[in-house]
Amino acid sequence: MRSYKYDILIVGAGGAGMEAALNASKDENLSVGVITKVFPTRSHTGAAQGGMNAALAYRDTTDTIESHVFDTVKGSDYLGDQDAIEFFCGGMPDLAHELEGMGVPFSRDENGDIAQRPFGGASHPRCCYAQDKTGHVILHTLFENCLKNGVTFHDEYNLLDVATDENGVQGVVAIDLRAGDIVSFQAKVVVLCTGGFGRVYWTRTTNASNMTGDGVAAAMRAGVPIKDPEMVQFHPTGLSSTGVLLSEACRGEGGYLINNQGERFMSRYAPTKMELGPRDLVARSIETEIKEGRGFGEGMKSWVLLDMRHLGAEKILDRLPQVRELAMKFEGVDMITDPVPIRPANHYSMGGIDVIDPYTCATAIPGLFAAGECSNISVHGANRLGGNSVAEVCFFGKHAGIGAREAAPTREFGGTDKLESLVESWEACFKKMRRKRSGTHIYEIRDKMAEAMWNGVGIFRDAEGIKAAMATVDECIELYKNTHIDDSSKVYNNAFMNYVELGNVLTIARAICMGALDREESRGSHSRSDFPERDDVNFMKHSLVTLADDGSYSIDWRDVKVTKYEPQERTY
Amino acid sequence: MDTITFNVRRFDGEDAWNQEYSFKRQTITLLGALNMIREELDDSLCFTQACRHSICGSCAITVNGSAYLACETQLDELIDTFQTNYFYLAPLNNFPVVRDLVVSFDEKAEKMSKVMPWMCPHEGRHDHKQSEADHQKYQQATDCVMCGCCASGCSELRYSNDNYLEPFIMNKAYRFIRDSRDEKGEDRVKIILENDLWKCLHCNQCATKCPKGIPVSSEISYMRRMALRMGEDKSMGARHAYCFRDDLIKTGILNEAMLAVKTEGIVKCAANRIPFTMRMVLSGKMNPLHVMLQKPVKGIDGVRKLYEISQKMDKED
Repeated sequence: MRSYKYDILIVGAGGAGMEAALNASKDENLSVGVITKVFPTRSHTGAAQGGMNAALAYRDTTDTIESHVFDTVKGSDYLGDQDAIEFFCGGMPDLAHELEGMGVPFSRDENGDIAQRPFGGASHPRCCYAQDKTGHVILHTLFENCLKNGVTFHDEYNLLDVATDENGVQGVVAIDLRAGDIVSFQAKVVVLCTGGFGRVYWTRTTNASNMTGDGVAAAMRAGVPIKDPEMVQFHPTGLSSTGVLLSEACRGEGGYLINNQGERFMSRYAPTKMELGPRDLVARSIETEIKEGRGFGEGMKSWVLLDMRHLGAEKILDRLPQVRELAMKFEGVDMITDPVPIRPANHYSMGGIDVIDPYTCATAIPGLFAAGECSNISVHGANRLGGNSVAEVCFFGKHAGIGAREAAPTREFGGTDKLESLVESWEACFKKMRRKRSGTHIYEIRDKMAEAMWNGVGIFRDAEGIKAAMATVDECIELYKNTHIDDSSKVYNNAFMNYVELGNVLTIARAICMGALDREESRGSHSRSDFPERDDVNFMKHSLVTLADDGSYSIDWRDVKVTKYEPQERTY
Repeated sequence: MDTITFNVRRFDGEDAWNQEYSFKRQTITLLGALNMIREELDDSLCFTQACRHSICGSCAITVNGSAYLACETQLDELIDTFQTNYFYLAPLNNFPVVRDLVVSFDEKAEKMSKVMPWMCPHEGRHDHKQSEADHQKYQQATDCVMCGCCASGCSELRYSNDNYLEPFIMNKAYRFIRDSRDEKGEDRVKIILENDLWKCLHCNQCATKCPKGIPVSSEISYMRRMALRMGEDKSMGARHAYCFRDDLIKTGILNEAMLAVKTEGIVKCAANRIPFTMRMVLSGKMNPLHVMLQKPVKGIDGVRKLYEISQKMDKED
């Protein structure tokens, strides 16, 4: 058995993972290693376009940290923990400067300061940006700084499990995908920075194909609850075949949404605002059309059309050149001559690993920390504001790194028994899956799960639909026990990795169903047609879904932390 | 053209072979087609992917020898370009292959560290300012997603030893050289000089293959000019460049007979080039009299004017 030993092991090399690595390695007496599923710059942080919120008050001198706090609390529909939000918003101006000092190529205003722009749900223009590639340049800058500081990366080492015992974390077990070896990493402290789990909905997500919640599921198997899993954000206009995000600018510039009857169907749902209605209303309207048979295509491959042709070539080329190029590249459609097939798509997972201390990002298991989209700290509550995700990833990644750095000297290396037994069982599993050829194929189970989740726990939710989805997910969990792949290779067995990922999304899907069913209210992104109102008496609470060793799930609740802001009606 | 066939170069860590996959023509991206093959025909076909909207740089492969980012390439575009329904797919050139279409980037990251690919701020920089004009000088270079398409197409990398730097590494160096916040620009130029800066062939494959349209070969030219400005003008590459410039101003036409002499020096040139030159002369490819006599071309004034303009542009840049 190949094994490694680090004082601090970080899992994931996106924004949070690399911030954690940079800050953890500031103590030279500590050894720090990073394992990552992909070469660091491939991480999904790079996909964030819009920007990063920090109340620098350059563009608008009346902006304040308190205003950022309030906007975030209100945006979260009062499900965000206010102490965590205050810590986060209060630290963002310094962090933005710190990132600039590390080399992030921010766009600039006329004074040479970091440029800021208005963003959805923000009462002041505080979103710091670098053109439309903010996440990309932050990711690359962090990677550059990791090279500078000699951070040790193990690329294409994919997390399989977190090993824990009564003293806390022992380390993690991973597969070295290139060699095909199951390896163990012993560590005093483990920081999970493994990203979100939008792939629960498979093609109906804007997320990268590897956003399968590996760290979340591993933490759940280690006994850490997933917090608010039912809080999932959707975007109204993803490209139909791939889910790639098509900018809201299309509707803003006057695009029409058309069903298979050739109607501008928004007249039924928002007769005055039409296509410019709010995101959730537009998303629900599109899905209603499809549900009632007025869409195109079938099942998960259904769509409606976004028609821009009436704007004319000149206006499209002038106002939307990049959006046009995007539709041509990824959907093969030129919006000057043809309407674009679109459908809503999952966009962001607010839920995640239950972090109990926002200042260090610690979980309830000694030595186990989490940051980034895999974690729930909780600053986004029931709905994340644009510009708060890259911010969160960097800010809490940094503080998880500091938390790990301070915790490591207080901990001893634990035992290795759990690590060894996990390596053994994963080796057996890898051997079996390379040879086994019977059962239901992973892709069939995946598609079945995604369709059930989309229909039952997607944009529309009611008790009946959620229960149906839950039953299908349970069925998929059973089928998964006897599934198969068709790749016998030891080297770079992607199919085996897809098998592992499917297990992870199934584990999380079941938790999403449970949270969605038991949260009998509508709050933020969680919209129940049978409980259309927010219920602050019973549900100003985080749901905590725990997976037991026998595969059963249970749910518990924890009060939201309120410091200053009592809940008000959320109107914009 | 109703059926499309991919002939894929496969490799399992030990053996290599080619395998054909056929499917019905449809509107689909290259990455979409690869995923369709995996899900419907062969689960064991290996390639890498992540964001599928050209920002992560995972899915670059070669089609008929040319590098493409698979997620943003429509099948119809390939049919149009190559006028065929039969395509050879292979991993990127100039990278170690792991399996099938999967290559390793680790070695390149290590190599990239040579050029200090991180910001080295001016000592005493305490504010966080930069003018938008200064930001614009390097911002396009930060579009790079490190997909490796440029390195796959690079003609010099194909023949060089390990010393020559991948175009995306050159781009990374350029990005910091042009950043007004950074103070190690000249150090980076010196490092790149030691790594055969002058060996770039200017085939422009890096720039034409770049999915982000980064003009890498122009960046390399910039770094060469910067090297000359720094007084690094004694190398063969620099002398070679001066030959072109001097001939251009003098006659407007390259004196090929003197080019090698001036570049390599008389001794080295005599040792290296005499048999070659004799063959050139004998086959009528070179006029030995050109060593002595060459008249300015018609319109030489215009050529000289253009040179002046280019000098002025260079100063303003």
